[in-house]
Amino acid sequence: MEFTWTPEQLDLRSSTRRLLETRAPLARTRELAEAGQRRDEAAWSAMTQQAGLLALGVPEEHGGAGGSRVEQSLVFEEAGRVLLGGPLLPTVLAIEALLAAGDDAALEEHLPGLVEGERTATLAVLGSTGRWRPSSPTTVAARSGDGAVLSGTEELVLDGADADLLLVLARAEGGPTLYAVPRDAEGVTVERLDVLDLTRPMARLHLAAVPARPLGLTGGGAGVVERVHRAAAVLVAAEQVGAMDTLVARTAEYARTRRAFGRPIGAFQAVKHRLADMAVQLEMSRSAAAWAAFQDPGSADEAFGAAVAASYCGEAFLQAAKDTIQLHGGVGFTWEHDAHLFLRRARAAATLTGPPSEHRAALVPLVLPDLVAPGHTEVPS
Amino acid sequence: MIELSPTATEDEVAAATERWLHENLPPSWLKAVLDDDRTVVAAHLADADGMRRWFATLGDAGLATPTWPREYGGLDLSAEQAAAVADVLMRYRANRPMDDFIGLTLTGPTVLAHGTPEQKERYLRPIARGEERWCQLFSEPGAGSDLAALSTRAVRQEDGTWRVDGQKVWNSFAHIADRGLLMARTSPEKPKHHGISYFLVDMRTPGLEVRPLKQMTGDAEFNEVFLTDVVLPADALLGEVDGGWAVAITTLMQERNGLSGRPAVGPGVADDLARRAAAAGTWADPVLRDRLLAMLVEERVLQMTTVRASVASGRAMAGAEGSIRKLVSSGLEETAGSLAAEVEPVTALGWPQGAPLPAAAYEFLAMKQTSIAGGTSEIQRTIIAERLLGLPKDPDPEKDLPFSQRSRA
Repeated sequence: MEFTWTPEQLDLRSSTRRLLETRAPLARTRELAEAGQRRDEAAWSAMTQQAGLLALGVPEEHGGAGGSRVEQSLVFEEAGRVLLGGPLLPTVLAIEALLAAGDDAALEEHLPGLVEGERTATLAVLGSTGRWRPSSPTTVAARSGDGAVLSGTEELVLDGADADLLLVLARAEGGPTLYAVPRDAEGVTVERLDVLDLTRPMARLHLAAVPARPLGLTGGGAGVVERVHRAAAVLVAAEQVGAMDTLVARTAEYARTRRAFGRPIGAFQAVKHRLADMAVQLEMSRSAAAWAAFQDPGSADEAFGAAVAASYCGEAFLQAAKDTIQLHGGVGFTWEHDAHLFLRRARAAATLTGPPSEHRAALVPLVLPDLVAPGHTEVPS
Repeated sequence: MIELSPTATEDEVAAATERWLHENLPPSWLKAVLDDDRTVVAAHLADADGMRRWFATLGDAGLATPTWPREYGGLDLSAEQAAAVADVLMRYRANRPMDDFIGLTLTGPTVLAHGTPEQKERYLRPIARGEERWCQLFSEPGAGSDLAALSTRAVRQEDGTWRVDGQKVWNSFAHIADRGLLMARTSPEKPKHHGISYFLVDMRTPGLEVRPLKQMTGDAEFNEVFLTDVVLPADALLGEVDGGWAVAITTLMQERNGLSGRPAVGPGVADDLARRAAAAGTWADPVLRDRLLAMLVEERVLQMTTVRASVASGRAMAGAEGSIRKLVSSGLEETAGSLAAEVEPVTALGWPQGAPLPAAAYEFLAMKQTSIAGGTSEIQRTIIAERLLGLPKDPDPEKDLPFSQRSRA
């Protein structure tokens, strides 16, 4: 039932919070971002090998810890609180893709190393448009002997320069198909990018006749990627809630202590009311993100919850980041202040999971099926 | 009185209520509801005598006031169980109308909390049975958001009765109410919150005059009430002399916890507006469509928040959840009213002479109502900032001054 967390789940939340506060606090996120590093090695192994965070959501028969999207979303909320970036999100989504593709050989080959945190993976599914268009990928798969070779350009690949395994969606004869490509395969050229969101390194990938292995059924890639897209929407919404929680807490603290005209600035209604609006949108986002996490993956309810959460939380987080800067005044605009890290994350997250207006359009067939008209709600290809 | 175990699940409560309705609702009404024959249902709802009999039956069963104690006409149910009852009654159109909201939702709990045994005996059962309708006499021309600044005077006479003089405003249903909840100043020499008393008033008392106020929608459901040399009996006082503010807090808290249906996520106002847009041809406008969908999203997220508050009540939003929901829901009402006029632009701007106001025009004109009524959005934001975020309280330089020395509104 929605909003009923088990004691074990609440324990997971608090142990994850403690872990991240000690091993990966926001100050460490900033150091990594400024040094252009993807992760803190000690923190990564604490999260994966010791805490087993990547095993959540992975069935036990595949070496996972079982559990559901609820557990994963609790972890992502905590990760969002400290703006943890790096390989966590892309690896979790790649695991999701491997599970959804259901290719036993690939699961056996890749899953243990990923779940253990020994290897990392990412998805190259946005093609050259940077949008989720699983039915019309831009990378092309050509037949070559028994296998396939991939050619194309993939934009905004999270952790793409360092992840060990690339899952690439490509146009094949039988329809969009997902392929596994080792990052160091011949024909893969990695172009490291300077990025808006400093906590999440990204790369542009150039694939020139790269030998690749299909995952699951040929032509089944669009379904797999749609499923991963929903997971991304749900987990990123949780992350946005965590990040917003930090913003509201820090800005309220600043408003209670910073003084002007003989009183704390939080005594002025112009400040108070803006903060109240931030708090309202945080509470609303919390409801939307949690609701989505409680739905069964792959269900229509999940599709609905994911679209609602992505539409609401993405815009709320961006607004909260802007308001945080406004309420901090000049100091909020400095490089030294953390506010810009949040602003950057807010913008990038809302793009990476797809624009809010697209998520809203996706609601029409789900809640107003009688109003679906050709050309009105279909996502342009 | 209907038999229900206090530990019954919500589904069991709903089933028992439904069984009871099948046994007690007039057969033609029951049949019309089951056949979805709206004309016959409407005829029943318009039959004043029939409705009076129905409300008495409903009240005697305890179903009009399920959260009240059994001895005063309730069933001792929890808020969640009561919401299950409300859901079923609504489905059969067998619920009490909005006109009775104040008696059922405000007067009842306030009298239960602060009334003498005699007052409970006297006032509660007629509310449960739908025999007496109530209104609220709180706001004044000089005391709106700052309610404790009210200046209507109540002076104790030698015989123990009270003489009341003053003016009240924004009093919904005062023109059709039998009784009123009145706040008046009894000790002007004390600071403003400490000199107010709370009274239960017979609206037919000589000297009490109700004048309808026409709103911008053209409706006149709320009123001004003038009190001139109104004499109230000693036992009209509810709670302590000068203790009225504490009693009022009980009433004001109830305003946000009214009997609504079971918290759930499902089709709402935005869905209706989208369908109206499709019928009017405006759904083809992609910008309007996105705005309607953004409203739909916000409305669903508010429903989710209401569900969360019902599951994790009292923990999650630390005393500000009522304000959060009120603020968001008034914003949604404003959005809906704005959108309605764009969804149906032709009907919103002109209609046949003498015809009732079309929905789009009415919703547009009424859109600001809830951002003001029951605590303005500004007051809600202040509550949220102070209670949830711990920001400094808004200063009130006259809070500790004797009321009689304050500056005038």
